[in-house]
Amino acid sequence: MADAERIHARMRASIENYDSEEAAAAAREAVAAGVNLLEAVEKGFAEPIRRLGEAFDRMEVFLPQLMLGSDAMKAGMAVLGEAIRAGGGKLASKGLVVIGTVEGDIHDIGKTVVAALLSANGYDVRDLGVEVPASRFIEAAGSLKADVIGMSALLSTTMLYQRNVLELLRNKGLRDRYRVVVGGAPVTQAWADEIGADGYAPGAYEAVQLLDGKRAGWAK
Amino acid sequence: MNFKEIAKRAETGPLMEAKDFLLKRVSANVLKLEKELEIRWDGKSLVNLDDGLADRCWQAGKRLLLASGLFSMNSGRVIEFSPEELEEALRFAQAELNMGQGKDSVTVHHRGVEDPRRPFVFSGPFNADVSEEIFVRLNEAFAQERIIDALFFPGYLKKLDGLVFRPTSGMSTRAAVLYGEWSREAVRRAGRPGMPIVGHAVMALNEIACTNEAWGLRASDPRAMVLISELQVDDVSLTRLAYYLAYGCPIYIAFTPLIGGYGGGPAGTAIVAAASFMAAVLLGGEIVHLGPQHLKYRQQTNMHSLFLASLANQAVARGSRIIATTSHTTSGRPGCRQYAHEFTALALAAVTGGSNVSGPRPAEPLGFNNVSPLMGRLFAEAAHAAAGMSRGRAAEIVGRLYAKYKDNLELDKAPKGAAFEQLYDLATLRPTAEHQRLYDELKEELAGLGLPLV
Repeated sequence: MADAERIHARMRASIENYDSEEAAAAAREAVAAGVNLLEAVEKGFAEPIRRLGEAFDRMEVFLPQLMLGSDAMKAGMAVLGEAIRAGGGKLASKGLVVIGTVEGDIHDIGKTVVAALLSANGYDVRDLGVEVPASRFIEAAGSLKADVIGMSALLSTTMLYQRNVLELLRNKGLRDRYRVVVGGAPVTQAWADEIGADGYAPGAYEAVQLLDGKRAGWAK
Repeated sequence: MNFKEIAKRAETGPLMEAKDFLLKRVSANVLKLEKELEIRWDGKSLVNLDDGLADRCWQAGKRLLLASGLFSMNSGRVIEFSPEELEEALRFAQAELNMGQGKDSVTVHHRGVEDPRRPFVFSGPFNADVSEEIFVRLNEAFAQERIIDALFFPGYLKKLDGLVFRPTSGMSTRAAVLYGEWSREAVRRAGRPGMPIVGHAVMALNEIACTNEAWGLRASDPRAMVLISELQVDDVSLTRLAYYLAYGCPIYIAFTPLIGGYGGGPAGTAIVAAASFMAAVLLGGEIVHLGPQHLKYRQQTNMHSLFLASLANQAVARGSRIIATTSHTTSGRPGCRQYAHEFTALALAAVTGGSNVSGPRPAEPLGFNNVSPLMGRLFAEAAHAAAGMSRGRAAEIVGRLYAKYKDNLELDKAPKGAAFEQLYDLATLRPTAEHQRLYDELKEELAGLGLPLV
């Protein structure tokens, strides 16, 4: 038990120090020591990353810390996830989200903040980057078996491409397979309603609240 | 430094991933410089009163730009600068610039901290979505306000003949032609045919479509491009720049540092802002526009953004000859008192810091035409009233104004206001009696707070 607590503390420290290599090393130690890995996930990584997300919400830490903390957690979780799956177990995730900025739009920060904050709050997030064509959103969602497609657009002109993704999903008969959420500076609830999106979030904090709030209702 | 060299370096500079550039070159250096040069926000000041802090911020901005360079997003390469190149660009930065034509031509100046000269006022729809049916009338209403020096971003035409179109479509180029034509028609109708129009078409190719010396945007009109946060350019922005330089128009470069983003809090983001001012000059920018974003509030009159605008402008004003201007984006909307409280607070912080002014606009418009030329006039009057004011006096008034709106900063809580069609009589192009009354009351209120309004 004492060993487990020491390892949990090492894991927490790796997140608090934004240290990906140390997070992976601490996770390897957890696997080698034979501690309960699901408990290690919760106490070693989930707790500090939640605290980091809360500190970000209060603007006590900023985007670089949030991204580096999320990266450290991902590095550690890659090790733990492999070991848990090898033992026949399953990692808890709130859902898999593919996220990107739509075609014609190179703005990255808003989408990156949402991706980092969702990761910090227990979602498995795959960031497709910027200028993502409609077909790429749909291909990625299909190949990764995503639950949610998230689309960002910073310009009132490029937000039209959010509609294209939904239209293409409907044309392919895939609309009911994914929950589609939209955001970005010019995007509004009215726009989300007009294009038939499942949800709209005005900011990163609200994106987490949106998915958390609707997750149960969206269960497949 | 000339554009050819910039464009070459965008193809040949060190190759790296965007994330590495932002975290290792920008964030890591900002953290180091904040600590080393003791650049901090005290957590309460809305206006910076410390010249030493402004000077350290300028020095930190220089070191940041030299350490980071500019990232070219499409090529993945870093455009790096030597200290000599930076110093030369700053030495030859234009301290004043003429724009517009004939008797309507005007001059914008570099301003100093607490400068007694009146700031230059860029005001107009500021990229609001504008309906094609009233595009000319709405812009004419701004242009008829003589206190506005340049018509600023006449508005997006994103819907024509009932169709909302893609930004790269043939429809968008048709819209760009109309944008140029109707903007010129608006200033003509207002009796100011040579009034400068600050233009920014939706896509780079469309910059050419809206240019015409007879009926559209002219070589005497400033044209805008936007740096991408933080310290990044892309092919579209460099393409615009190449065209503007070849055409010979004044170049207006905007940048939008994000508070809460890669620069951290207001002090770190002020360092990024100082570096961005210099980067804009290296790119050939003659008027440089600070338009800070805020991760949480998504507008520019919160306490972090007020302080950032104050500090970064003072850094530039004291350290360089750069012609600076600051955008004014509010939570409140035209047609409500809060709109004026917010833009006045920011104008006082920015103008006493040495800035000219651009704006105002609501951060979250309610829909098309969510603008008021009469509020553009009040904005200009408030900015003029700040000329020659001490920062200490400005800080007192900003504090009182901030207290009035601080509980309604969240965009969904902020007053809704009204669209141009509700605030103006479209036949006479005069404000409605109610909107005029709001203006009169606000002017009296602001004068009561100590603004020397004329």
